[in-house]
Amino acid sequence: MGTDDREAAERLADHAAIDSLADQLIPALIAKLGASGLGEIEVREGDWKVRLRRPADGTTPPSRKVGDRGTRSGAGAVAPAASSGTAARQQLTPVGPGRQSVLEAVEALAVGAVFETDGAPSTPFDSSHGRDPFRAIATSPAVGFYTPRTGVVPGSRVRTGDPIGAIDVLGVPTEVVAPADGIVGASLVEPGEAVEYGQELVWVELLSAPAGAADPMTPGS
Amino acid sequence: MFQKVLIANRGEIAVRILRACRALGVEAVVVYSQADRDSLAVRLADEAICIGPPDAKRSYLSVPAVISAAIVTGCDAIHPGYGFLSEDETFAEVVRAHGLTFIGPPPQVLDRFASKEATRRLLGGYGLPTIPGSNGMIRDELHALEEAERIGYPVLIKPSAGGGGKGMRMVRSARELDASIKVCRSEAKAAFGDDSLYLEKWLDDTRHVEVQVVVDRFGNGVHLGERDCSVQRRHQKILEEAPTPALSVAARAELADRAIRAVVSAGYENVGTLEFLVDRDGDFYFIEINCRIQVEHPVTEMLTGIDLVATQIRIAAGEPLGFSQADVEVRGHALEMRINAEDVDHDFRPSAGVVERYLAPGGPGVRMDSHLYAGYEVPPYYDSLLGKLVVWGRDRGSAIDRARAALDELVVDGIVTNIPIHRAMLRNEVFLDGKMTTNLLDRVGSAAFVAAAERR
Repeated sequence: MGTDDREAAERLADHAAIDSLADQLIPALIAKLGASGLGEIEVREGDWKVRLRRPADGTTPPSRKVGDRGTRSGAGAVAPAASSGTAARQQLTPVGPGRQSVLEAVEALAVGAVFETDGAPSTPFDSSHGRDPFRAIATSPAVGFYTPRTGVVPGSRVRTGDPIGAIDVLGVPTEVVAPADGIVGASLVEPGEAVEYGQELVWVELLSAPAGAADPMTPGS
Repeated sequence: MFQKVLIANRGEIAVRILRACRALGVEAVVVYSQADRDSLAVRLADEAICIGPPDAKRSYLSVPAVISAAIVTGCDAIHPGYGFLSEDETFAEVVRAHGLTFIGPPPQVLDRFASKEATRRLLGGYGLPTIPGSNGMIRDELHALEEAERIGYPVLIKPSAGGGGKGMRMVRSARELDASIKVCRSEAKAAFGDDSLYLEKWLDDTRHVEVQVVVDRFGNGVHLGERDCSVQRRHQKILEEAPTPALSVAARAELADRAIRAVVSAGYENVGTLEFLVDRDGDFYFIEINCRIQVEHPVTEMLTGIDLVATQIRIAAGEPLGFSQADVEVRGHALEMRINAEDVDHDFRPSAGVVERYLAPGGPGVRMDSHLYAGYEVPPYYDSLLGKLVVWGRDRGSAIDRARAALDELVVDGIVTNIPIHRAMLRNEVFLDGKMTTNLLDRVGSAAFVAAAERR
């Protein structure tokens, strides 16, 4: 069953449509979603409906700033520290760049969410059980004040290792680099804000799913 | 007083400094490496900031990371604790250049006492007896042989930049000396980045006795008595106590009095410790000064009731000492046992892992300074100190009784500790007689020492 039964022409048309989505619509949407802080964006275009949705478990930009531990108090102090430790560990393992094509990534999106026709739950960015396979996070290489690189804004395309900002450490800048090929999304910190080592700074929405990410084409595999 | 203090250390001393800040009503920020994210100091802190990866060179020893952390968190002072950057005069200088205060001696004072050899000459000039040694650094093999001949064998080859007994070597003859100089130089170079060596007369069967001093910015100085740190393993202190059983009341008073007069005259400031070797005749020789808070400071706190860390912070903030020598009362006897993550059965190799159960002892006169909690994972990257069990009693005998009881109550499961060495020590006759010398453990070997105690 599935894709093999479809007419070749039909598949070609789909792929053409997917190509155009990949080139134009999806990057723009990803950037928009990343920058806006919205939970979900849906766009209709002809027979296609594209919906991007954030996971519900709090990948909204964490608002913890350096120093926010001061708001903790009393007996409650211990448990939040443990959970923030877990969150912090996640930020230390930026998702590496995948090697699959843009097409495959969009196909993955398509099955998972783009072709959604009913109210069935879709969780393309679900990271509730681990890392988000569609997003990498640039983290701070030092303790200091963060400044984004001029010209790098939500929607900018970046490649792994591109400088996207800097941390001022006692007047000496240390580069913040893109952890993966992708599109710059929301910034989690304000320009000039104090950041700690390893702190999450900027989302980079991946153009390709990383190797090893769950393949929605073959559920259960 | 400071508004906010950055605690640039980890483990039990970070917790200790945090408590002193709380007692003074000063806000505190704890720095941590990625390996210490779940540490007790971070959990207890009002505020904590990650400064780098587990490698200490890129976190606790990184001058830019520590100072930047102080700046971004709005601190006006940095407490370095012990180890790491605590005696680094360059760090203290850079701290000051950024408009912050280093909690310890001011940079120019640290600089004056940076070289052990120069410090011995300085304080020797102010009346402290020093161990006969080479006249300055040894220039070459020939110079070393001449100096050793003058001092008399055996002699100890010591690196000027060393500490904690690292890089030292005892030689008994000209031939041994000749063979050892090159090795010691390269070891010193590798360990401390400085290959300067000097010679010292080797004293057999010595005790290690140190004097705690506090001096404010205005030159008011008092001593808080001495501590005996003779129980050592390979020059690493294991158990400390005060007063020292090695000296009479009069001799103790003379030692402490001469120490405080010398350091005040030499312009020392803040808390410090002067270390002495005491020989079989009770003669004492100044060996070095530690310009920082020491691991064993609670022994003195138990005897005097004075919070040494808070005093250190107050002095750095420019406050006058506020008490005089006559106000210092030394009461009873105190012992401190260093609880280390070390395997006594395997040459004290360090252990790491998860502390499955932890129960701190209690009761009158019992104090546990530790960063342990059940579920804490001891990271493998740093020193092995897990905590300090400190007990106080009216006299040495009752302090030792309490130490035994407290040690029996202490539970640290899931990780190998050196608790057996303390159990053995508290049953050892030489120790019970107060006759221990720094070679007590090394002479027989620690494993044999523990085994002998178990047979009793």
